[in-house]
Amino acid sequence: MIGSIIVKIAFSASLLSAILYFLNHRRFSSRVLLFARIAYHTAVVSIILIAVSLIYILMTHQFQFSYVWNYSSTDLPGPLLFSTFYAGQEGSFTLWALYTGVIGAVLLRYSAHKGYESEFMTIFSLILTFLLLMLIIKNPFTYIWDVFPKDLIHTGAIPAGDANVVWLDRAKGLWAQYPLEGRGLNPLLQNYWMVIHPPVLFLGFTSMSIPFAYAVAGMLKRDYVSWIRVSTPWTVFGAMVLGTGIVLGGYWAYETLGWGGYWGWDPVENSSLVPWLVCVASIHTMLSQRRSGSFIKTNFVLSLLCYILVLYSTFLTRSGVLGETSVHSFAEPGMWVYWMLLLIIVVFAAIGFGLFFARRKEMPRVPVEHSFFSREFALFLGASALVFASLFVVIGTSSPIITSIWKNKLSAVDTSYYVTTVLPMGVVIALLSGIGQLLWWKNSDKKSFWRSLRLPVLLAIAVGGISYAVGARSAAMVVFIFAAAFMLCANLLVGYRVMKGNPRMAGGAIAHIGIALMFLGFVASAKYDTKETVSLEQGKAVEALGYKMTYLGYRPTERGRFAFDVEVEKGRRRFVVSPVMFSGRDNEGMIRNPDIINLLTKDFYVSPLSLDQPDGGQGTEVTLYQGKPQRIDGITVEYIGYTFSTSPEFGNVVKVNLNVTHDGKKERVVPAMHNNRGQIQFIPASLSHSGIQITLKSVRPAQEGEHNSTATVAIVDPGGKPQKKKNDVLVVEATIKPYINLVWLGVFILIGGFLITIARRREEARRDSTMSE
Amino acid sequence: MKLKIIIGSVVIAVFVIFGAISFMNSNVEYTDFAKAEKLGKKVQVKGAWLRNKESQLDTKSGQFIFYMKDDNNKEEKVILEGGKPNNFEIATSIVAKGRYKDGAFHASEILTKCPSKYEGDASAVKKTL
Repeated sequence: MIGSIIVKIAFSASLLSAILYFLNHRRFSSRVLLFARIAYHTAVVSIILIAVSLIYILMTHQFQFSYVWNYSSTDLPGPLLFSTFYAGQEGSFTLWALYTGVIGAVLLRYSAHKGYESEFMTIFSLILTFLLLMLIIKNPFTYIWDVFPKDLIHTGAIPAGDANVVWLDRAKGLWAQYPLEGRGLNPLLQNYWMVIHPPVLFLGFTSMSIPFAYAVAGMLKRDYVSWIRVSTPWTVFGAMVLGTGIVLGGYWAYETLGWGGYWGWDPVENSSLVPWLVCVASIHTMLSQRRSGSFIKTNFVLSLLCYILVLYSTFLTRSGVLGETSVHSFAEPGMWVYWMLLLIIVVFAAIGFGLFFARRKEMPRVPVEHSFFSREFALFLGASALVFASLFVVIGTSSPIITSIWKNKLSAVDTSYYVTTVLPMGVVIALLSGIGQLLWWKNSDKKSFWRSLRLPVLLAIAVGGISYAVGARSAAMVVFIFAAAFMLCANLLVGYRVMKGNPRMAGGAIAHIGIALMFLGFVASAKYDTKETVSLEQGKAVEALGYKMTYLGYRPTERGRFAFDVEVEKGRRRFVVSPVMFSGRDNEGMIRNPDIINLLTKDFYVSPLSLDQPDGGQGTEVTLYQGKPQRIDGITVEYIGYTFSTSPEFGNVVKVNLNVTHDGKKERVVPAMHNNRGQIQFIPASLSHSGIQITLKSVRPAQEGEHNSTATVAIVDPGGKPQKKKNDVLVVEATIKPYINLVWLGVFILIGGFLITIARRREEARRDSTMSE
Repeated sequence: MKLKIIIGSVVIAVFVIFGAISFMNSNVEYTDFAKAEKLGKKVQVKGAWLRNKESQLDTKSGQFIFYMKDDNNKEEKVILEGGKPNNFEIATSIVAKGRYKDGAFHASEILTKCPSKYEGDASAVKKTL
């Protein structure tokens, strides 16, 4: 395939560009620079071609490619089909390389303008080179017959009538079969968030490479001070995008995956949070360096860490090293990927920190002059708290690795670990970001500082007192609420003052207001939620958590999914929630999506657990074990085995062979089930001498360590006693999450704060470069 | 300046000790049912769902109750807070996190290990030919 060749071209061009840029850094030559630029742009064009080809083969269902077969299928609607582009390892690395390539092309111009092109592009091309090397190892254009040569490659004549075959070598008589249908996208991911969340998150990951590359470029150029002016707008941009990506993932988990909350301290979530925390810490120490010249080394270390931590996260979540301790089961990628991911970390850590240790003596030492009562000191403490929080999270997330070295056993920490360690950091951060805003640079007048504290502290005490009065009884929570309220009030005060003066400087205060609101929302919605499991008999109202709930019935929605309508009433207000349940493919089990009533002060969250359909009409359901006859209502049923076949007309066909004895007569009965692209059809079988009907419900093939498969059937005996039809019962878990809207409101305000800061820092970077010209 | 360094080191030391203690306390040990019974604290037990024994959702309490045997073939009743976990039916093995109390293992979380749907799955490719 031409795709594989383009991957190699892109890799070579990118490597060449890194080398040429490095040569140009050592000795400037306009010709070398020209070739470096050509090489880089060749790489970018090739990556775009790779991405376009991958999307093309996915959209046109070319199942001769292993990636297409593994992650897509013909029944996916357009946007979801497009999202399979980054559903697997190969595709997500392609997306990452695409972002890196394109952002690099933008930054090439930006850096050239700032006199940073050769150094920055040396390291950025190298980053791109390693991502492309990953694509050579995990090639998205691998043919499926190369993955399954024994099963798919044949010799001799091609049997007549086979359409899905291709000649590999006509002279040798070598030909291969390929599938007509793919395995499809994991049903848990079949949701519009799959279209939105990963592209944003990967853009965030990519952005983390920018501060890294500028830090290295600064050291290469022996410019230890002004590189941060070039880097800051992009660092803030990275923090904004990565933060947005994390929140979108949290909202996805909350709104559709039905984990009950927006954050589960899962390794995949943690590993995107850690670089974000470090990146935010670096924004604060960079600010301090601008004002007082200190923290030069800290800024190098933190900027380097932003990307190293992204790489470490990638290693943790994609190499299979966490084993079965993570809920997100990324499939085992194989040894090659494991070592490659490890190599990338080592290479970039060696480049970054190697250079740092070689140059650290040259870096200017700025004596720290500021006092305890200075904004610098508050910023330093705040950044330290952020770094500590990220350290705690990174250690917790790496726990399976730590315990496997230490005890030779993989074990994860309980999620309570994260709460106990990060919560105190949250309190420290909240207090400092209030205090820091009220302090001046260098040194503050103590008297006026104490005076400025008065109002926010009083207001925060009031909020803490109210929360205690309405039921927050844990001391830790009251302290946290107090700290967040103080952060909110102090920043509102400062923000108001700044807005009156120069609104363009208000980014920091606004971002802090957003964080403070999020903190308050976290406590209210996660710590003080109330839950109740409710069984809803169809048509009968049940009172739960102060709401009247009535299960109305279910209806099919799209692609074999069912929505279960529940009417929720309180006073005169009436809502209908429709949580969804459906079975995944190939016995993947039940997938459940909650539904939410979003009210101003709370969310009413309804998560479906199960639907009980009592007997009568449906018949008696029974699970049969191979070779174990069972007696049910006067009938003896023995399950012999099942057969599986595929036909173009019915799709996948499962038939079970049953020996049924009724009234002393034994006969063979074969009920079947057709699964035609998700459309399931039951073909019941009847006994010849009576009206007894047997419907196949499901078959479970033999599992590891077992010899026998099981089949579940429903037996309906119309001659039997007429049963009273009972109503269906829907079991749901209802949760009230108070003030969760504060979290989302806080996120929007935070993003607003970031945008204002980016605009301000870009303006400054532009002014600096025109000044230096 | 000296004072700052001293305060700084004390704070760092406190945080490190605090982090280490939290880590040790919340590291959930892998063990089997026999030991879980003895310890009575939160542990995780790996094993398999006993399919031929009853399993049901208690619709009143919202607990999913089933039987599981650990790697030493000891059987135990497991009460999970919440509904049947995702992918429960197809899991080749499961890990239950929780503590032993009053004749049953009370699980707060179940992790399911699914047969890898990844490379080398020749039977899957044959189905789609």
